[in-house]
Amino acid sequence: MDLNRPASPLQNKAAKRTTLAATAIAAALLLSACGGGAAPQGAEQAAAADPASGANASGAVNICGVKDASGIYKGTAEAFTKANGKVTAKYTEIGATTDEARTQIVQRLEGKSTECDLFVTDVIWTSEFASQGWLLDQTKLVEANKDRLIPSTVETTKYQDKYWGSPFFTNAGLIYYQKDKVAKPESWQQLYAEAAKAPGNGYVYQGKQYEGLTVNFLEMLYSAGGEVLNDQGEVTIDSKETRDVLNFMSDGLKNGSADRAVLTYNEDPARLAYESGDFGYQRNWPHVYRLLNATPLASSFAVAPLPAWEGGKASGVLGGWNLAISAHSTNQAGAVAFIDFATTPDWQKHVAMDYSQAPVNEAAYSDAAVLEKMPFATELLASVKGAKPRPISPVYPQISQAIYKNVYAVLSGTASTEEAVKKMADEITTAKASF
Amino acid sequence: MALKTIPPSRGPAKTSGRDRAERKLAFRMTAPSLVIMALVAAVPIGYAIWLSLNQYSVRTAGLSRFVGLENYINALASREWWAAFGQTFLFAGLSVSLELVLGTAMALLLNLAFKGRAVLRTVVLLPYAIITVVSAITWQTMFQPNMGLVTNVLSALGLPGGDVVWLGEHGYAMAVIVMADVWKTTPFAALIILAGLQVISAETYEAAELDGASKWQTFVNITLPLLRPAIVLAAIFRTMDALRVFDLPFVLTRGANGTESMSMLAYTQLRENRLVGEGSALSILTFLTVMVVSVIYVRFAGGNIRDVAKEEQ
Amino acid sequence: MSTLTAERPTPELATRAKAPKRRRLRGEAKLHPMVWVFVVAVMGFSLIPFYWLVNTSLKKGASLSQGELFPSQPTLENYLVVFQNPEFLLALRNSVIIAVVTTTVALVFASFAAYALARLKMRRKAMILTLILSVTTFPAIAIAAPMFSIWREIGLYDTLLGLIIPKLTFALPLAIYTLTSFFKEIPRELEESAYMDGATPFTAFRKVILPLAVPGLATTAILVFISVWNEFLLAVTLTTSPEARPVPVAIAFFSGTSEFDQPLGTISAASVIITVPLVILVLLCQKRIVSGMTAGAVKG
Repeated sequence: MDLNRPASPLQNKAAKRTTLAATAIAAALLLSACGGGAAPQGAEQAAAADPASGANASGAVNICGVKDASGIYKGTAEAFTKANGKVTAKYTEIGATTDEARTQIVQRLEGKSTECDLFVTDVIWTSEFASQGWLLDQTKLVEANKDRLIPSTVETTKYQDKYWGSPFFTNAGLIYYQKDKVAKPESWQQLYAEAAKAPGNGYVYQGKQYEGLTVNFLEMLYSAGGEVLNDQGEVTIDSKETRDVLNFMSDGLKNGSADRAVLTYNEDPARLAYESGDFGYQRNWPHVYRLLNATPLASSFAVAPLPAWEGGKASGVLGGWNLAISAHSTNQAGAVAFIDFATTPDWQKHVAMDYSQAPVNEAAYSDAAVLEKMPFATELLASVKGAKPRPISPVYPQISQAIYKNVYAVLSGTASTEEAVKKMADEITTAKASF
Repeated sequence: MALKTIPPSRGPAKTSGRDRAERKLAFRMTAPSLVIMALVAAVPIGYAIWLSLNQYSVRTAGLSRFVGLENYINALASREWWAAFGQTFLFAGLSVSLELVLGTAMALLLNLAFKGRAVLRTVVLLPYAIITVVSAITWQTMFQPNMGLVTNVLSALGLPGGDVVWLGEHGYAMAVIVMADVWKTTPFAALIILAGLQVISAETYEAAELDGASKWQTFVNITLPLLRPAIVLAAIFRTMDALRVFDLPFVLTRGANGTESMSMLAYTQLRENRLVGEGSALSILTFLTVMVVSVIYVRFAGGNIRDVAKEEQ
Repeated sequence: MSTLTAERPTPELATRAKAPKRRRLRGEAKLHPMVWVFVVAVMGFSLIPFYWLVNTSLKKGASLSQGELFPSQPTLENYLVVFQNPEFLLALRNSVIIAVVTTTVALVFASFAAYALARLKMRRKAMILTLILSVTTFPAIAIAAPMFSIWREIGLYDTLLGLIIPKLTFALPLAIYTLTSFFKEIPRELEESAYMDGATPFTAFRKVILPLAVPGLATTAILVFISVWNEFLLAVTLTTSPEARPVPVAIAFFSGTSEFDQPLGTISAASVIITVPLVILVLLCQKRIVSGMTAGAVKG
């Protein structure tokens, strides 16, 4: 066998040429993929948005975000374009789910894309994006609009004493309950007690191992007086309150207040379970109201704000969406104009009436037309005003994982409360020490 | 290329000219595929490898540091990695074995000549044709407590499992994920094995029948060995995919109750936590695991790919 | 390979290599009743979850929360909504183009490469096989972000071509491996006789191997088509507008009435609809999967 005889010189040359060309192309692409070499820019160096610029804005503004299920983003863009006359706004859906939208937004911000001027950001993304220097500092803008925004919603955009977004609409949990079966819950303890009284009274909530579980857990923890991080940013989750809440939730599963099935529920399955009529209480977001009205339960359900932990103040966790201006936006003035429009008291009424979302303007909740469409507006306002943001930190995703994984372990019986609390504190401390 | 006639005997090469011509042809025939794969895959893969050797700060923009193999060492020292490793292998072992067995049975069935075989073949392929996420949602609703098809039927028949929260219990959750995967991808294995069945000629079976072999004996001693290349091929691809499973556990349980896979770990670090360095290292560890398993398969299970790989130049 | 399969080629093979008439490989249509039981079991196993999908697609609103086996008020409204969605129809068109082009090109390239690997002398086959395998093994999620940047850089972002190229790249390994394994099964003697008649390796490939490899080609075509059709991660990373989105991404963008809604009705309807092209493809190909390869080509 001619193992040592080289292949034809022609073949060798061709092979060499191809390899060389491929390597050259590869190198070029690799260099381009690494992106430009701009100096690191964090929150400290971020530029500020000028509130006065909105008046003279013109041109086009592109707002990017999650898929527009309720129609509010496209609706606002259209209304703004009509009202303003000089600026045209357009909404581009870039993510099918919240997680997907975050990925898409991060990809664009990292790549310094100029495609989007405004991003619709979930309240929990603000500190992350701000710390990376991806957003414009909106402190002045928020100060200028302070009077028409509910303070708790504004807090969701705060990071390192500055504000990085304007609240667009908010979200807070509500308790839906069957009037004919159970009583209005004044406290969590009462809710669980009522729920355990009969098999058809049970409580459904979001107990799957995901962000929603963090929300459900924190709603109780905050009301019990507990904290994840204190004002100085120290980890304070290792506390008596945390243990109490965990034991409470875990006991609830054991003594029949809540069905073990909640371990598999996020928002929609919880709603569907409640709609079957086999349960007495449900914790969910406001959007469920309209859907429940279309079921046979329409006449028998009622709405209540989240109850308080015995001895504590009723509290909750704020959801909702903010408007953040991209640091690479080519039309900052237009973006400011859009934000100004979206937060006007008048438009906020439409937010409630036309799109069934919770406005960030307090006056809207007592407007007659709004109350007609959203009869639970008063309860909702109570929940919103009493709600707090989730822990503010650029490593929030890791903190949330530490919470929901360990809470789930307790609820499913794979870990004891003590172990889980210690682990949560450990993991959050490690996360905060991230490089 | 000049037309060359080739002498009948293909023994040890006598003329290097013929060899060269053949190698040249071989090169030209593989070049398009290799070029595309190199151009498109090489750069992102190279970049991912580079990322895995660094750490990128999630708290300070633009800050990064070269850490060499530290991401890998941290991953290999973590309990989460080994838990995911074990769970993924458990899933892959169960799924692939079931798929190969059921796939062979299905292939034998599809091979039969009877009225309505066209319908059967089409119906059997339907599961493979459904989008993974949609099939995951379907299985999730089927196993929903109180309302799902399966739980209802089990309760109605008085069988155990009717009031179990399948996706909320250790072990049961894995069972649902395995079932969903087997349902969806057995057709894939069946198709490949069916193609392998085509190679066996009728004469072979007839000869066996003449020799007095029973159907079972024929199957075990003749069909199976001849099917080996196809089964190994199906096993390679199914194992590769099973070890990289992501959609099913993500939708069904989010990794709870002992169902977190290696890909889920990588996804969490890469996407959710934006720990790009650590996430890339986890991805590459997953990749290496899969490659090692595949190479072991090819080496020891035999089949045509091994024969090709062993060929002398 | 056992000696049982040693077949003697006939001189007329070169002319008769084209699609030999299909011969029953296994018995005749007389089937043991147990087999019928098995047929029914297999069909049931395949169909039940699919039935559930169709079931859900015929329900609307509140009935989606009831676990009924048969929809009490079946409605085709979900299908109407889906068909009237212009973005979905665009996505269908995109998917068809992408899948057809990718499958065709993949088959061509892969059959060339597979022939070279299975039949011809070539250096470092083991290394090439390993490299090919590593392309398909590498986790897509690790390369999605770099691809996003590169594609934006070179202008392929949000284009059909920009999707075809990477999908082709990741489909090739499956196609090459399958076809290589299949080509290896074809008895060498068939090519020998072609060479005796004066054919070059390439002609032998075209006139002898390819026609006999139809089952392998058909199988690979189906597998590649389906995997390209359903691929999600690259599709969602490399597109942003409805003009370029394929169907799985379009379905993900179906919205309910709020950010938490999963519109199960329309998602199910759309999922059922998009299996139709696949069903057509399979119906067209299924005869070919089971052509008797060596039937009629062998005597004695």
